[in-house]
Amino acid sequence: MSEPVGTSAPARIARDVVTVVAGVALLLVIAFPFLWVIIISFRPDSEIFTRTFQLITTFTTENYTQLLSDSPFPTYLRNSFFVCTIATLVAVVIALITAYGFSRYRRFRLRPILLVLVICTQLFPFVILITPLYAMFFSVGLINNSLSLVLSYIAINLPFAIYLLLGYLDTIPIDLDEAARIDGASTLEIIFKVILPVAWPGVVTVAVYAFVSAWDEFLFALTLMTSEENKTVPVGLASFFGEYTTQWNLVMTASVISTLPTLLLFMLLQKKLVSDLTAGSVKQ
Amino acid sequence: MTATSDRMPTTKAASRDTVARYWSASRLEPYALVMPAMVILAVFFAGPALYNIALSFQELSLFELGREGKWIGFDNFAEVLTDPATGHALFNTTLPLTIVTVVARLALGLGLALLLNASVFRRWKLGWLVRSLILIPWVTPPVVAVAAWKWLLDARYGVVNQLLVGMGLLEQGIPFLARTSTVWGAIETMLVWRELPFVVITFLAALQSIPSDLKEAARVDGATNFQIHTRIVLPLLRPVTAVIAMLTTIWTFNNFVYVWLATRGGPGDYTQVLATQMYVTSFVDYRMGAGAAIGVVMSMIMFVFALVYFFVVFRDKEGAR
Repeated sequence: MSEPVGTSAPARIARDVVTVVAGVALLLVIAFPFLWVIIISFRPDSEIFTRTFQLITTFTTENYTQLLSDSPFPTYLRNSFFVCTIATLVAVVIALITAYGFSRYRRFRLRPILLVLVICTQLFPFVILITPLYAMFFSVGLINNSLSLVLSYIAINLPFAIYLLLGYLDTIPIDLDEAARIDGASTLEIIFKVILPVAWPGVVTVAVYAFVSAWDEFLFALTLMTSEENKTVPVGLASFFGEYTTQWNLVMTASVISTLPTLLLFMLLQKKLVSDLTAGSVKQ
Repeated sequence: MTATSDRMPTTKAASRDTVARYWSASRLEPYALVMPAMVILAVFFAGPALYNIALSFQELSLFELGREGKWIGFDNFAEVLTDPATGHALFNTTLPLTIVTVVARLALGLGLALLLNASVFRRWKLGWLVRSLILIPWVTPPVVAVAAWKWLLDARYGVVNQLLVGMGLLEQGIPFLARTSTVWGAIETMLVWRELPFVVITFLAALQSIPSDLKEAARVDGATNFQIHTRIVLPLLRPVTAVIAMLTTIWTFNNFVYVWLATRGGPGDYTQVLATQMYVTSFVDYRMGAGAAIGVVMSMIMFVFALVYFFVVFRDKEGAR
């Protein structure tokens, strides 16, 4: 239907094939670095430096067993899962309550200014705050305490989470709340028993986004968690490829494991996530 | 809330009492609901931002934390702003780190989005494949992206060098991250690779929101494919391009992780950017006051960027009316 008038069928099919082949080839080139990491992670240490271009060499999972049994990586994983899960849960709950306040009460006096502040903090370069935040956490004795990282990740994720959930809640009819209120439900009951089930897809998007950005975060983890047993995955992984010694097979294996959580989350929810996360920029 | 209802004469109709109570409760309720988030944002954004300004006027070592530093007026700023290293880092942050990668992302992202938007991908039901592949760099944590590229660019064993040597283009591999002539290209490659998918999928979403009637009508009027793209599609993409450009600029200008993990600012100080300079000043040289001053300089530059951002968005909205 959308084809130029007068193009013959074979020419059209030829053009389609060329487009698809070119597109997929380009995408494979783009995906290659990570696919290469996966391949290397299953290669024995002895063959990493030889036979670079052989796609399949000896297949082994010894890198994985070594990494998970004979390196501090499991500790890093545990720390990251702990910090990111708690930060995500708290951020989502607070963001939902806040978004509900902004969505259902349109006329309270400070609403416009608070809303603008939330949107502005989204653009705020958090990196700049690392020096004062370190000083603040130091003075309350929270350096090397997971709480400092949890709190930082909650704060980093709140603005975007509130903004995205606000857009979601605005599409949910207020009749739902009013029906529940007549039945005597309190506001918190309405939020978690009436709104949450309906806003579930938006909440999932926000949770995934918050978890992934906490999972990826490097600078705060580097600065606030200085002792070995408190390191998170990104900082721990970075210490594997230090300036002097690098065990590439372990780096590649740790890279695959570090990417698994985000990869799984995105693959499960790709279509929805992509449309939710780009909506903000496209809507303008 | 209680004060209002207590003053209500109990003999009056109970319904009025309920209404009054509900009214005053619902006036306070929005504040109660948004309060926790606002407190967190105040403590973790506003508080540190203000404290950062205070710190920037003090001389304070990392080891003296918890005490008040020595107030030294504008000395930190005088030092930071006259230090040639700052100018060097500012230049690095602006041109090779930000402008080059933002322009590259916009150009590559738009090109790729136009290609992937071809109707054949939808007709052959390949959307899932396109999305899965394009998302791979995006799901890769930045640390992993740097690790992968460091390995690919390794002087002896990296795929890139083995390919170049194998094709006879090079006698021996190049240590890309250790040479001043190649180090920025290498860092930019890592950054663009990891951050390109966001630009592609945002452009794709924008392209898919363009009504096909528009293109149909132009085609009926005899417009060529090229004309449709230059006269209809690209102008319609202007607002989203502006948004992407500003967002990526702000994110990249403050980026720490790529330069730090790829080179630590080296070789020497060759690739030092403001974010790494700030980190080194505060946490390697232990000079928190001077580090804070660099942070203040960065926020001021970003503030101007943000103003431009809102100006651009605002102007585009006005223009659309």
